[in-house]
Amino acid sequence: MYEWNFAPVFAESGLLLAGFRNTLILTATALSGGLVVGLLLAFARLSHRRWLRLPADLVIEVFRTTPPLVQLFWFYFGLPIVLSVEMTPFMAAGLTFTIQSGAFFAEIFRAGIVSIEKGQWESAKAIGMGHNQLMRRIILPQAVKRMFPSMMERSIELMKTTTLVATVSYADLLFQANELAQKTFRPLEVYTVVALIYFVSISCVSFFAARLEKRFARTGEFSV
Amino acid sequence: MNYNWDFASVFDNWWALAVGLQGTLRLFAVCLILGMSLGLLVALGRRAHAKPVRWASTGFVEFFRNTPVLVQILWFYYALPILAPVEISPFMAAILGISLNSAAYSAEIFRGGIQSIEPGQWEAARAIGMSGLQTMRRVVLPQAVRRIIPSLTNRGVEIFKMTTLASVVAYVELLQQGKLVASLNFNPLEVYTVVAALFLIILYPIVRATYGLERRLARSD
Repeated sequence: MYEWNFAPVFAESGLLLAGFRNTLILTATALSGGLVVGLLLAFARLSHRRWLRLPADLVIEVFRTTPPLVQLFWFYFGLPIVLSVEMTPFMAAGLTFTIQSGAFFAEIFRAGIVSIEKGQWESAKAIGMGHNQLMRRIILPQAVKRMFPSMMERSIELMKTTTLVATVSYADLLFQANELAQKTFRPLEVYTVVALIYFVSISCVSFFAARLEKRFARTGEFSV
Repeated sequence: MNYNWDFASVFDNWWALAVGLQGTLRLFAVCLILGMSLGLLVALGRRAHAKPVRWASTGFVEFFRNTPVLVQILWFYYALPILAPVEISPFMAAILGISLNSAAYSAEIFRGGIQSIEPGQWEAARAIGMSGLQTMRRVVLPQAVRRIIPSLTNRGVEIFKMTTLASVVAYVELLQQGKLVASLNFNPLEVYTVVAALFLIILYPIVRATYGLERRLARSD
């Protein structure tokens, strides 16, 4: 029978904490970038102008149908060759996950915008609002509320996807775990602890998301 | 920006990528079958009368949905052999991680599908004397599966994309072979472009078909 010993893992808990911090930083970067990119892509995709719509379609479809790990490798190993720039693991990962989650967010935004009833558009136009005004004041506030559950789900997916950066040696939680497992010869304890850290933090996020959803539901206007 | 793309060195090594593609397809097929069938079992487990079964299924789903699949694969590869006297090959570790993860996700899809079937269907089946299992197999599941085919196809696409994670434990699949070719010929840009294109070529028709299917189902409901 194997004797579990978590002491060596806890002795180095600073290492894991630093990794967890980096995971959060990367998630926050990609999330905020991804929301902006997603909104722009959604507008471009809904645009009447072909030269805006087609590139947006292409970006969205390519980033949704290729594996994120391949994208990451492309941005980390491939892109610096084309642009002849130095790419740090953080930059490559930030860029990849911003665009990748942006592609997914774009589809959520689009579905939300399209789901707003025609009458809302027409009445906003009837009282003389321009396209930007009616989008900002009428459509988006209602759409965002409807999109909230899918947004939260995507954000959680994003946090889990960030583990891929460990493969290009950005010091995220998983990367630190690999280091620690080699250092302590205790892979069982290390990976178990790391799995639990992810489990607890992601469960907390889903829990609060579910509560927010309920609150939104109570104030009405909440169904897709 | 005046970089000379040179795809010849990639196509010279096409056999290496072909071997990788074979590994990808093999892993995908196994994980698809295991993930979906286990998912159905777990979904049924969440509806079971026995509390322990229900709790275990719920715990399984929550745990595997709320941890990254890469952590799961690494856990099975490095940690499980310590706990149990088994040899774990990279292939096995990838199968375990990806199948169990997909099982948790598809269990939720199956559950949603089963729940969406109107109570009248259950009552009618019972009224003509069918048992619970019979009702499930003959009345509820056939209708539920029809409704969830788009979601299940999406899951399949996700599984296909997930197989690249097996390269982390050095299982021979497309991305792993791409790494090999890139390190031999110093042409990562071309290699990873080709690898990404291969995934796009394989998956995009499936994704398009799903869009069409969704529209057709929406109209017929």
